[in-house]
Amino acid sequence: MLACMSAMTPEREWLEQAAGAFDDPVVGTGSTDAATAGPVVLEKVSKRFGRRRGRVAALDDVSLACAAGSFTAVLGASGSGKSTLLQCAAGLERPSSGAVRLCGTELSKLSDRKQAMMRRRQVGFVFQELNLVPELTVGENIALPLRLARRTVHRDAIREAAARVGLTAGQLRRLPSELSGGQQQRAAIARALVIRPEVIFADEPTGALDPYTAQSVLQLLRQTADGATVVIVTHDPQVVRFCDRAVFLDGGRVDSVVSAPEPGQVAQRLHALGERAGGGGDPR
Amino acid sequence: MSGWMLAGLRRRPAPMIGTLVAATTAAMLSIAAFSVVAEHSQAPLGRLATADVVVAADNQLTYTTGQGDNADTESVPLPAYRGLPATLAQQLAGVSGVASAVGETGFPDGTVPPGTVDLIAVKADPGISPDTLAQRIRTDLHGGAGYTIATGAARGDLADPQFAVERANGQGLGIAVIPILIMTALFALAATTALSVSLRRGRFALLRAVGATRGQVRRAVLAEQALIALAGGVIGFLPGIALGRWGVRVLVAHGILPPGSVAWSTTWLMPIACGMDLVICLLSGLIAAGRAARVKPAQAVRAVSTERRWLHPVRLLLGLAGIAGVIVLDVVSLHQSGPGALGALAGPLLMAGMVAAALLGPVLVAAAAVLAGPLRRTGPSARLALSGIYALPRRTASAVIPVVMAVGMIGAIDFSNTTISHDAASQSSQTVTAGEVLSGNGLNDALLTEAAGLPGVRAAAGVESLQIAATDPDIEFISGAAVSGGPLNGVLDLDVTSGSLAALQPGQIAVSTLEASNGVMGVHLGSKVTVHLPDGTPYTATVSAIYSRGLAIGDLLIPASVAAGHTGSPAAYDQVLVSGADPTRLSALVAAHPGVQAADRQVYNAQIQQNAAQNGFGNNLILGVIAALAAVTMINTLAVATLERRRQARLLTRVGATRGQLAGMFAWHGLFVVVLGLVIGAAVCSGTLTAVDRAITGSPTPYIPFGSAAFVVATVAALAFGTVMAAFRILSRQVAKH
Repeated sequence: MLACMSAMTPEREWLEQAAGAFDDPVVGTGSTDAATAGPVVLEKVSKRFGRRRGRVAALDDVSLACAAGSFTAVLGASGSGKSTLLQCAAGLERPSSGAVRLCGTELSKLSDRKQAMMRRRQVGFVFQELNLVPELTVGENIALPLRLARRTVHRDAIREAAARVGLTAGQLRRLPSELSGGQQQRAAIARALVIRPEVIFADEPTGALDPYTAQSVLQLLRQTADGATVVIVTHDPQVVRFCDRAVFLDGGRVDSVVSAPEPGQVAQRLHALGERAGGGGDPR
Repeated sequence: MSGWMLAGLRRRPAPMIGTLVAATTAAMLSIAAFSVVAEHSQAPLGRLATADVVVAADNQLTYTTGQGDNADTESVPLPAYRGLPATLAQQLAGVSGVASAVGETGFPDGTVPPGTVDLIAVKADPGISPDTLAQRIRTDLHGGAGYTIATGAARGDLADPQFAVERANGQGLGIAVIPILIMTALFALAATTALSVSLRRGRFALLRAVGATRGQVRRAVLAEQALIALAGGVIGFLPGIALGRWGVRVLVAHGILPPGSVAWSTTWLMPIACGMDLVICLLSGLIAAGRAARVKPAQAVRAVSTERRWLHPVRLLLGLAGIAGVIVLDVVSLHQSGPGALGALAGPLLMAGMVAAALLGPVLVAAAAVLAGPLRRTGPSARLALSGIYALPRRTASAVIPVVMAVGMIGAIDFSNTTISHDAASQSSQTVTAGEVLSGNGLNDALLTEAAGLPGVRAAAGVESLQIAATDPDIEFISGAAVSGGPLNGVLDLDVTSGSLAALQPGQIAVSTLEASNGVMGVHLGSKVTVHLPDGTPYTATVSAIYSRGLAIGDLLIPASVAAGHTGSPAAYDQVLVSGADPTRLSALVAAHPGVQAADRQVYNAQIQQNAAQNGFGNNLILGVIAALAAVTMINTLAVATLERRRQARLLTRVGATRGQLAGMFAWHGLFVVVLGLVIGAAVCSGTLTAVDRAITGSPTPYIPFGSAAFVVATVAALAFGTVMAAFRILSRQVAKH
């Protein structure tokens, strides 16, 4: 152990210290006292892909809870398991073990159909790309969750949702391919908001945008979330400016959690995690 | 139905164009087939034009199988008149409203026994309508059972009984095409729909992520299919009508339909085609819709959209069941000696093989990609192509299946046909052992007796081709012959397997092994069997011989004395076969009978080959339908599959691939599709071919003419390569623009 400590790099040392400083009672790896409150709760969740020898653990015994109305950024190097965490938390993927509670409901107890119905009623999604169905107009895309739920779609409600994200009535009639990347992300946010969700999951929502547009999109999400719990998966340190806390993943496990994170601090930590993971990290 | 379900069809129809083209082609071909099946033709009325009502003995042969609730009655038109007592004309003349009732014979050139007439032409008193008169006659004939009482256009079928037979045969061809068409369309549409779903996995995942249930996604795909089916029916309507008219003209020209036949051209065909298309599109879309519904919502998040390489367990099981079915049927066919049973196995074998190939397509593609691994060493183009195939085997399978379908079905039908024709020709050369064959007009019993009496003659026999109705197991008229003279084995070598053909006496019948086997007539030596002569007269006889060479002379042989007067034409032989005659004396005999020619047995062969060619035309028509649908499907799946690789081509260009390397990659892909399609298609049709060949020729080796096989291979290869390379040109232009 001593030998290990002595061989520790400065970054590693910093990480260890930071981890101690940032310990969060609602987060951990294999933690048995993970809080059970909040709209998003993961308890000892593991997810493995592949078969037999090629089996890879993308998530390993992860526990995490997000308080209502909080903004959580999930960060980590490539392959750290952040997207898998989002997929399991949102019910897009079933975990190999552990439990996920979304909006107070244990997902494993819901059928595939019930999960789909829950998503369209209570959960909003914003993805990096392939966010909008290309053959539907922007307005139809925004109204999609309502249509799927066979709810009455009022044009005014769609216009209002669009206006909240800065899209004009004219843009609603266009196809997604006729909008810029930033405008498409705005439309995706409008679609997420139109159902007044309890939780919004965003997977690299700014990954394909320039820094200026990315900032305005995040600002918009923060302003319009309207009490929803937001979980953002990202590798962009700037995102944390709009978040209440940052969760760092490493090798499928929760490495640490930072409350009120600062971009500089997060960038350093990401760099260190990237180094540890084999230089794959590219913190901005 | 929500608007979102069909938005793809309205705004981004590209992935579905293949399905639309296939659905339109299927609708077009089904409209054409229906317009042939329901064609209406009227025989010229001739002398009957002035008759208001025509009465004949029932012109249908009716046969009932089973008893009670299971009773099934079938009827076929008779090729000859049954005949009525001449005295009936006087009886009918007494019916109120009848101006005259005259017995007629010799329509068109039949002969009737004394005291009988073919039909009675009845004229009505002024002011009496034909229908009223027909009703009165029916009442007078105690309800008309056993009679055909015709007015208007229906009189035509009584004017010429052959006309109704030809019409039934032509319509039968149309009816035979429809199930093959449905089967082909199902496979074609399943392939195109699988491709269109595969191309849109990303958006199905997105729909699932934002809350669409599996049922909603499945319904969305099926709703698209339904709309495509209806659009296909509407678009295919006019071309289908035109094709049907052309088809009827061609069938008339080949003597398969009677002259004056008119295709059924009505707007009713549009809903019929739409309905049929709807069923085909929905059935064929079920697997693809299920797969769209099973797309994981998480795939909306993943950067690279990959396909599940493993098949759904149910699909895998069904595919393996298809292979098991082929093996079981093959084993069963090995233990079947009866040609009838073997023939009956051919269809299920083809179907099981096609189903197995379609269901296991992706596995076969992936396995072939692994086997083709060493080709990667030939360069980056082959490496890229094989990697792409291995990574997305379903997309390649969508392109391979239409090739399998084309090769499997065309091979099975075409090569069965060539084997039968080849065997008929070789059988006929072995069948006729007579040195001389007399043919022409006036070959009667007198001439046969004269020929038999010539010095040196060892045997002389008259042969008249005849349609004889047998229950095998459904009632139908099959080709046979009436023979007289003898000994028959002195002029014919029919390869008698049991019994003797030395002399065929009244009360006896000879049956071919094909017809005698179980599942067909199911008779053996000594069986009592009842067949019907062309005028419907039953002939009950004992099977006195069973012979294997039925292709040349027909499947049933009866004595000419039994058939005389029941064939609808004056007693005359088509050929008189003579063995051992002195050439000079025979020449003198021929010279004494104008209209009679003597030739060696090659004449007989020529005639048999001509008949085979006519039968072949029907098969070629069916082949044309399959080939059309298979070609359209193959072209559009390959085009769509090539064009959708735009992104990949762009990426490869950016990382330094040359245009030549890209072209090479697509060419390798095309080659893979063609070779694998040909191999699987050949495997699928070989099971069917061996069963058919064992049934007909007794040998499992089919006769496949090199030219015919080369044509199929070259056409498939040219179409596939042409399509891939044409699509590549478009694609490379698009890539260059960006």
